[in-house]
Amino acid sequence: MTWRRRFRGASAGYLLIAPALAATVLFLVIPMVVSAYWSLTSYNGIKPPEFVGLQNYVDVLGNSRFQKAFENTIAFVILGMGIGPALGLGSALLLDRSLRLRGLFRAAFFLPTMTSLVVVATIWKFLYSDAGIINAVIGFVGLPAVSWLSNPTTALPAVVVTSIWQGFGFETVVFLAALQSIPRTFYEAASIDGAGRWAKFRWVTLPALRPTILFVYVIGIIGSFQTYDQIFVMTNGGPIQATRTIVFDLVDRFNRLDLGGASAVAYILVVFLAILSYLQLRIGEERD
Amino acid sequence: MKPRPLSRGATYAFLIAAALLMIAPFLWSISTSLKQPGDVFAYPPRFLPDPVTFQNYVDVFTKLTFGRYFLNSVIVTGSVVILNVLFGTAAAYAFAKLRFPGRDAIFFLLLLTLMVPFQVNLIPLYKIMVELHNAIPPIGADTYFGIVAPSAIQVFGIFLMRQFLRSIPDEILESARMDGASEWRILRSIVFPVARPGMATLAIFTFLGAWNDFLWPLIVTNSDEMRTMPVGLALLARKNASNWGDTMAGTVLTAAPLILMFLVLQRRFIEGLTAGSVKDVG
Repeated sequence: MTWRRRFRGASAGYLLIAPALAATVLFLVIPMVVSAYWSLTSYNGIKPPEFVGLQNYVDVLGNSRFQKAFENTIAFVILGMGIGPALGLGSALLLDRSLRLRGLFRAAFFLPTMTSLVVVATIWKFLYSDAGIINAVIGFVGLPAVSWLSNPTTALPAVVVTSIWQGFGFETVVFLAALQSIPRTFYEAASIDGAGRWAKFRWVTLPALRPTILFVYVIGIIGSFQTYDQIFVMTNGGPIQATRTIVFDLVDRFNRLDLGGASAVAYILVVFLAILSYLQLRIGEERD
Repeated sequence: MKPRPLSRGATYAFLIAAALLMIAPFLWSISTSLKQPGDVFAYPPRFLPDPVTFQNYVDVFTKLTFGRYFLNSVIVTGSVVILNVLFGTAAAYAFAKLRFPGRDAIFFLLLLTLMVPFQVNLIPLYKIMVELHNAIPPIGADTYFGIVAPSAIQVFGIFLMRQFLRSIPDEILESARMDGASEWRILRSIVFPVARPGMATLAIFTFLGAWNDFLWPLIVTNSDEMRTMPVGLALLARKNASNWGDTMAGTVLTAAPLILMFLVLQRRFIEGLTAGSVKDVG
């Protein structure tokens, strides 16, 4: 009885949030702080950490493998985000008409989004294999086979294709929902003003989609900055570092017990994501 | 009255081509999983397995340990979903409807943690789990506890449920309090029933995330019998398997639960996904 009576008001509030708070502090805040500290030490997991100032950051930023990983990650972001959302918007525009089977198309597009990156990567690794179906098809039209994933030129674009393929359904569905929420009266008003198809798209559709476009890019860029799973399955960072990404570099350092360096890589990633989020926030505000 | 740059026929042609591009790789992996090893790379490619064999499926359960991976994934995903729905809803109720000093500040700090990419916590978290395991063997690294704990109560879920619970009128809660109901009673008899649609959405998203999670289960487990399905599959696929039939059977088994769930709950999936994106970003 006394417990019940006490379980009210403020104490109830603290009790209810206590598990969430404890979990967040233990598994998120403490590791985050520890990681920041380790990034300033020469920690290798065995000997106690020794403070070295910013040396890890200097080493990481000057390291050729990290630089390659950084370039590759930027390439992933630019290629993936340059192509993916545009395709998603295109297909959403096609679906945003009185079509039969719209639900069926949407479901088909959405399937890859549902499956894990590991599944997607495994399937595509098989499609890309030397005797695989893609080479069979291009052989059929008379072109020579390509070792997609072991050729340094094609490996990165080949992995990007899988990311675009997986994200396509998500982008389509999100854009389609946004298109369908644009009031028809906007288009009618534009028609009265004599706007053609392109003018309507440019001055009605695009402005109405702005928050959605921003959303898709925020999610997409943050996701591609953290590309790892496909690399693990498909290329293991190779051939000759051609698909090494920032997170791959981080895990690689962890495996080689360079915990100080790995923590520095993590914080470099944080800084980049923070800058990106800030820029996106600013873009969002500016236009509002 | 939308822009109409394409004829109806061309629209269908594009959409059908895109749909084939999305579905064909799945069909190809199902077909391959039913082929004999010698038929996998037959040229010209055979689209249908002939003869059909289930040997690959038998193999992944007997020669490989996909049965165990499946069990692990079910246990891990089930725990993550239940813990998030219960504790997330409870915390969200406190943040949405109860008054206590520091409430908004604490909520704001929790939201800030959403900005932190998981990779930052990865290594110290692993160390914590190793130490825990050394101190108390049933928990920590290479245990279910170790896999589940970091995603057991996610801030995202609290945020989602808080938005949902704010729509419950205060009058209902007040009158329940006047009748002498404790907050616990209110949570059980009013909040949980009213919040059911929101909890279902949260359950779907945590299910999706937990079933597909890769990096953390990969790092925190090191014995084969603790691997989840994506980890087991990734390790198999990365070995550059000569037997793609086995690998594709593993792929089908890993993807099947989510695809089945999606086909059954399609509308809820898509509504849940778009609800957060269309209105505003923040």
